This record gives sequence, C-alpha cells and structure tokens, in this order.
Amino acid sequence: MVEVQGLYKDYKVGKVLFPALRGVSVSIKDEEFTAIAGPSGSGKTTLLNIIGCLDTPTKGKVVINGTDTSTLSRTEKAELRKKMIGFVFQTFNLIPVLTAYENVEMPLILLTMPECEKKDRVTTILEEVGLGEYLHRRPNEMSGGQQQRVAIARALVKNPSMVLADEPTANLDSTTAHDILSLMEKLNKTHKTTFIFSTHDQLVMDFARRLVLLRDGKVVSDKARKAE
Amino acid sequence: MLLKLAWRNVFRHKRRTQITAAAISIGLGAMIISNTMMNGMDSLASYNIINYETGHLEVFAAGYYREEGLFPLDTIIDEPDPLIAAVQDIPGVKGVTARVKFPARISNGIDEYPVLGIGIDPATESDVFKIEQSVVAGHYLENPEDILIGAELAKTMDIDIGSLITVITRDRNGTYNAYDFIVSGVLLTDHPLFDVNAVVMDLDITQELLSLNQGVTELSVRLGRAANVQTMQSRITEAIDKGYEVLTYKEVYGSIFEVSGFKRLMQFIIALVVVVIAAVGIINTMLMAVIERIPEIGTLKAMGFGNKEIIKLFMYEGGIIGMFGSVLGCMYGLVASLFLVIVGIDLTSFFNTADMGYPVKFIMKGQIDPGMVGIVFVFGIVVSLLVTLWPVRRATRLQPVDALRHV
Repeated sequence: MVEVQGLYKDYKVGKVLFPALRGVSVSIKDEEFTAIAGPSGSGKTTLLNIIGCLDTPTKGKVVINGTDTSTLSRTEKAELRKKMIGFVFQTFNLIPVLTAYENVEMPLILLTMPECEKKDRVTTILEEVGLGEYLHRRPNEMSGGQQQRVAIARALVKNPSMVLADEPTANLDSTTAHDILSLMEKLNKTHKTTFIFSTHDQLVMDFARRLVLLRDGKVVSDKARKAE
Repeated sequence: MLLKLAWRNVFRHKRRTQITAAAISIGLGAMIISNTMMNGMDSLASYNIINYETGHLEVFAAGYYREEGLFPLDTIIDEPDPLIAAVQDIPGVKGVTARVKFPARISNGIDEYPVLGIGIDPATESDVFKIEQSVVAGHYLENPEDILIGAELAKTMDIDIGSLITVITRDRNGTYNAYDFIVSGVLLTDHPLFDVNAVVMDLDITQELLSLNQGVTELSVRLGRAANVQTMQSRITEAIDKGYEVLTYKEVYGSIFEVSGFKRLMQFIIALVVVVIAAVGIINTMLMAVIERIPEIGTLKAMGFGNKEIIKLFMYEGGIIGMFGSVLGCMYGLVASLFLVIVGIDLTSFFNTADMGYPVKFIMKGQIDPGMVGIVFVFGIVVSLLVTLWPVRRATRLQPVDALRHV
C-alpha cells in the first residue's frame, strides 16, 4: 500500500526554481496495475523516483506499508529498496559486462539465501519472461525487447511488493511494447506485485487498470479503466 | 559476484588497464631491482672486507680502534702468541692470523707513492684471508724480502715481478726507516682499493721495520660457516683479557655500511616516486571508471546497493589492477634480478683492469631478498587500494536519482 500525501518537489536550476510536483496526493493499493500518465514535464518520473526512495520531496510524504519514507536515513532507504522495490527503466540499465542470468542475479547478492535458491529463482523468472534460452547472453547480444524482459526479471527476482517502471516501453517498437506490457500484466497477476509505471503512450495507458493523469505537477484525473 | 563484476569491469577497457598496470609494475620492478643490486653490493663489500681486510672479527689492543686511522703503534698487541692460541681454541673459530697495518711510501727509484703496508704471517694468513689466491703473477711470499703489490699500483708505478722497491715508513719511535724489497707477486683481488694502494710483506720484516718486536696491530679471526658473528664476538670478548677489544667487520667498517644504508634509502625513494606516479595513473583510471559508470552506480543504488557495496566493487577493481601491476612488476623485477644474480654486471672496465692482461674480471652479482619481493608485491596492491578510495568517494556521494539522470 502506497500513500502519497501532498507531495511537492522543486528543482533549482541556477537561481530559478522549477516546481515538478505541486501537491500530489494519491493512494495505490497492493496488487494494482497503475499508470501515471501525462505529457513530458508533468512530473511522472519525479513522482516515481520519490515513491521509490531515489529522490526526496521538498514537502509532503510517501508512506509505504505504514512506513513514512521521509523519516528514513540513506541506509534505511537503500534497505527498503533492496527488499521491497523493483525498478524498470526506460533505457533498461542492464550491466553490460554481465550476462542475462548475472544481471538478474545481482539484486539477490544483497539478500541472504542459499545459492541453490538463488539459482532457482533466477532461472524460473527468466523462463517466465521468455528468456530461458538466453541466460548467458550479454545485453549487447540481445534486442531491446529482450533487454527490457531481463530488466523486468531483475526487478521481480527478489519478490518485491512493488515494481516501479519509468516509461518501460518508450524505447521499444509498438509490437514489442505490447508484448512487454502483456508480460507485466501477467506477472502482476501471478506474482501479486503492485506495478506502477509512468508513460505518455496511449498503448500503455490502455493496458493500465488505473490511470492517474498528471499535468504540470498536479493530478488532473484518477480513474479505474478496467474491472479488477 | 561483486568480484566477478569487478573483474569484468577491469577488462572493459583492456588497453587502459594494461597501461595502468604496466606503470605500477615499472615502479615495483625498479624497487626489486634496486634492492637486488644494493644487496649484491653490500654482499660484495662484506665479502671483500671479510676476505681481504678484517676477517669476520678483529681483536685490537684496547683503544687502538678509536685511533685506527692514525695507526697508533703505541697501542698494539705486544704479545700476540698467547692471544692467538686462546682465540684459536674457542669453538666456532676457523682461523686466526696476526697482521700489522701501517702507512708507508714506496719508491721505484723514480716516483714515490703513499700506500697501506700490511705485514702478514704467510703461514696462517690463508686460514683467514684470500691474499694467496689473489696472486695473479709471480708468487706468494716465500723469502723475507718478497713483497706483493696491488695490480693497479704496479701498473701506475710501472713495476714488474722482480722489480726492486723501497718501503719508507716511521717506526714505533717516530724514526724514519726504509727497507728494500723484491716484488715477488702482483695481487688482483675483488677489492678495488686493495689493488690500488696496498703492499703486502712478511710479518717478521714488518715488525723489524717498525721496531715492534713481537707486536702486531690486530688479530683477524675467521669463523666457521655456522657461527654467528655477534655471538662469537661476545664469546671471544669473554675468553680474552680485558685489555683487548673485539670488533665485527661491520663495526670496523661501520661507515661503509651506513653509506650503503643511505644509498639504499635513496634508491628506494626514487623507486617510490615512480610508484607514486603510477598511483596517479590508477587514480585517473578509477576516476574515469567512476565517471563513465555513474548511471550504472545509480542502477545499483536503485537495486538497494549501499555505499559499502559500491566501495567494495571499486576497491576490488583497483585491487585487481594493483595485483596485475604487482605480479608484472615482481615478475620483471625478478627476471632482471635473476640476470644480476646469475650473470651480474661486469665492472672490469670500470676498474680499469681490462688492459692489465690478467684473466680476472670484476663482476658484481645481485642478491635477491625474497622477503623484499613479498613486501613489494603487497605494497603494490595496498597502494592501489588506497588511491582508489579517493575516486570512489565521488561514487558514494551521488544521490541515486542524480546518478541515474547522469548522461
């Protein structure tokens, strides 16, 4: 459960303050498949970053499963990200020198679990995203869609309670984007993981079961699109 | 896994890693080579001093050593025989011989040269020293009027075997005395100073020349292989009368070994400077690695990696580069050192003996100190790790969001 309460974020460029978020409040329940939509500069990425404890708000707070993240130290935030949050980025952000298997294994090295369980989790999730055959390929040997699948597997391998995806299909063609979204939707259901993703793409919005529309740093609409 | 990641990152830019590791290796290799050379020089100096000048230990009349440079003939060992017998009986002593050293001038009838005169007992001299083995022309002392002369000195004075030379000196009472000798042999030792200004003659004649009766200036002691010089020093000191003092060869020639220590330090500092320059190379490499991988650091932070893990990752990378540098440096340092140990450096022409026609060469050989190689190896890695800390600080200061946004 994510509670965003009166969130403000100002960026200072030189001597000028740019407000990125202007009092955003939104509540996202567990297992939701929510899109944060809006035009470029509307504050989507900023909102996701603050929810994911990657950035700090100027004012307001984010409460994740009862924990007010604004009270957490750097280390505690890292700990929260390690256990509860998975990230998927627009540019995939895979580590180029590691294979698909090793990229997915990365988040697990921070967690204490037997090696056999790690191996099991990594192979299972990679098979689930359809990359069972590509375990030992490096990112530069894979297509954009395949790379994003690895990124999704990496986000999900630690069984987080939520996955934050920042424009996950922006660098993909429409067919691949469709495949990726279908995959995310399937994983949302099978893993019961909350998915929050930002987008300005109509295709992505169509997939979302809930659409939160941002404009100029404010929520302008928030509605369910499909039956749960 | 972090180590695996670090290992692969190091080889992302092979050329950069190679250059950095090569730079470190040059510094470390230079450290090993300089140490091998200095060890070799020390060892050669010790060898020459022990085999030609002092033996392992020297026994003087108390007070003589403090004025040794002045050759004080009034503080000598007046009755050497009982003392020789006493020292000879001590277990661990291989040989004892008596010597008289004195300043003199020698003349070939045309020119006069200042020399160091050494009166030796031909019967026992070879129990301690290698003078007999160093006669490269003519023969060892057989008759009372025989004299041995250093090869370089013989060349300078244009003296051959059978030449007549006069030794002029002051005796114990300050009276000038002179004696004619026939050059019986030419000495070519490994000791350059010995070859340049020493003449060696029979002890009895020397004592007569200096009016010393039975007196000698020193007893030189050679020890068995297993004997420890310091232990034997105290053992001999305890066994003999308090009127004598026993000094090790390092004490007698303390200044030489002090200079050697200073040279060693200077060479080490020069090598250290090279390592420092190499360290700047590592800083540069690691700084580049950090800057170009800022978005990657952001991704790791987003995954929940803390500063501890990020520092560890980059430290591994610095350590791996340092290890390569250390391995390379030790390897080529050892190869060069092995060359110095097996082949050595030919110093024959340096000592200007090549044209003397004697089939002897001055070759300085190195000596490898395995402990030092180990220290240098660890030093390379430790320096690499330490200098990596600075660029890594940049990585840890970054907010995850800023790192992710970095292009």
